[in-house]
Amino acid sequence: MGARLRYLLSEVFVGLRRNLLMTVATIVTVTVSLALLGAGLLVQQQVNLARDLFYAEVEVSIWLDDGISEAQRISLEDDLRENPEVSDLIYVSKDDAYEEAQELFEGQDEVLASIEPDFLPASFRVSLHDPERYLVVESQYAGFPGVADISDQREVLDRFFTVMDAFRNGAVAVAVLQLVAAAALISNTIRMTAFARREQIGIMKLVGATNWYVRLPFVLEGMFAGVIGALLASGLLFLGMQTLIGRLREQIVFIPFIGTAEVLTVTPILIAIGAGLAAIASFVSLRRFLSV
Amino acid sequence: MLGSSESGAPARRATFPTWCRAAVIRLDNVSKTYKNGAVALSNIDLDIAKGEFVFLVGASGSGKSTFIKLLIKDEDPDVGEIWVGGKRLSRLRSWRVPTLRRDLGCVFQDFKLLPNKTVFENVAFALEVIGRPRAAIERTVPEVLELVGLGHKHEAYPHQLSGGEQQRVSIARAFVNRPRILLCDEPTGNLDPTTSVGIMKLLDRINRTGTTVVMATHDQHIVDSMRRRVVELEDGALVRDQTRGVYGYGS
Repeated sequence: MGARLRYLLSEVFVGLRRNLLMTVATIVTVTVSLALLGAGLLVQQQVNLARDLFYAEVEVSIWLDDGISEAQRISLEDDLRENPEVSDLIYVSKDDAYEEAQELFEGQDEVLASIEPDFLPASFRVSLHDPERYLVVESQYAGFPGVADISDQREVLDRFFTVMDAFRNGAVAVAVLQLVAAAALISNTIRMTAFARREQIGIMKLVGATNWYVRLPFVLEGMFAGVIGALLASGLLFLGMQTLIGRLREQIVFIPFIGTAEVLTVTPILIAIGAGLAAIASFVSLRRFLSV
Repeated sequence: MLGSSESGAPARRATFPTWCRAAVIRLDNVSKTYKNGAVALSNIDLDIAKGEFVFLVGASGSGKSTFIKLLIKDEDPDVGEIWVGGKRLSRLRSWRVPTLRRDLGCVFQDFKLLPNKTVFENVAFALEVIGRPRAAIERTVPEVLELVGLGHKHEAYPHQLSGGEQQRVSIARAFVNRPRILLCDEPTGNLDPTTSVGIMKLLDRINRTGTTVVMATHDQHIVDSMRRRVVELEDGALVRDQTRGVYGYGS
């Protein structure tokens, strides 16, 4: 095994050195593509983190007409209580709403001055078993007598999440294109190396080396570029996360942010993709040379 | 009957016909036409027994090289069956081809040595790539280099050697794994007559160890002086098979 290992390492090293420029180009491409992919994955995690937190606390507010009759209000409340979608229900009267506003804007006298006791409408605050089913609830009560408006806090959040999703999709799309380019570069590098060593490959085949023995140095050479690229990409992500999130964390206190742990969970994924892609690219580009 | 006993490899081996034990190479009605339409071999039937020395003669393009390519399963015949060392090549899976080639030594006109490796490393390479342990390599390579008469040139590089010496290295590499069969494609094609005689003496010595030697050649003088079995190909057809034959072609 010693001789075999020494052979393997020297072949990989010689191959990498011979195509130094191509190897650098390959590693840079792999790094950029995997960093983009990783950024996409991290954005996804960030969105999930925020979404979970917000959606869990999201309530639907059913705003009532000022002219709603007591009978209509009770019939609406009964209907809501029997609704299987509804997990919790609070009635907020005009007075309650006024009190809440007083608390919410305590110290801000100008705002408080503008709020008359009669200004805020009464409402039902409804928590749902499954916040995703907001639209179902909305359609059920939109035409209910005495209901003025139905609003979901998610509408605001969704706008934010749509932007984040778009960013993620863009990052992943560019990453995929870059990965294709990286695979082509790896394949080309390996092909050049194999062409330079075609005599040697021919002799190896002739004396009965197995295909795997011939292939392994090339595949490892490709995987080396893939793994180095993935590690560099992870480093970039860590630095980017530190600077960006660090700044955001100071300014926006109410959102939980991803941290080092998330970068660490993304790293093995990037390594696996980088190494796997490189291995496949090398493997495929060698087929022609192995049919000796 | 053969079909019914083909469920397992050992059973198949047991059903080998008796001639298999004597013939180390057998071609049964073998034909090969290349994609461009060139007929390389047509309807070849040939048995070569263990320990034989066979010259394969014929003009350029008569099918000699194709013959050797078929034996190492570099090419497959369109029709017919080939057995080499007890292996039926049409049944040999591609991943098993290396085991066939470890049983065959190959020598070519152009030596096919690696220029950046020394004599020792070139020969050792053949053992390294089939996973032989270092200790075995250190033991067998000097032995075989001694056998081919290059015991004193371990550290030389191919470009520092004469053509005859390079061919000796190539033979050493082909023989270091002690194959049962040595296939030589024009081994003296690039060498002067005196050097060629030395190479033939070496091949003869290897043949005397029990190794079957099949040698494609153009060299009339060598064939006539050795008086071994001669198989002649003409446009892909076997036209002559003579024990203790002469070159014949063109004379």
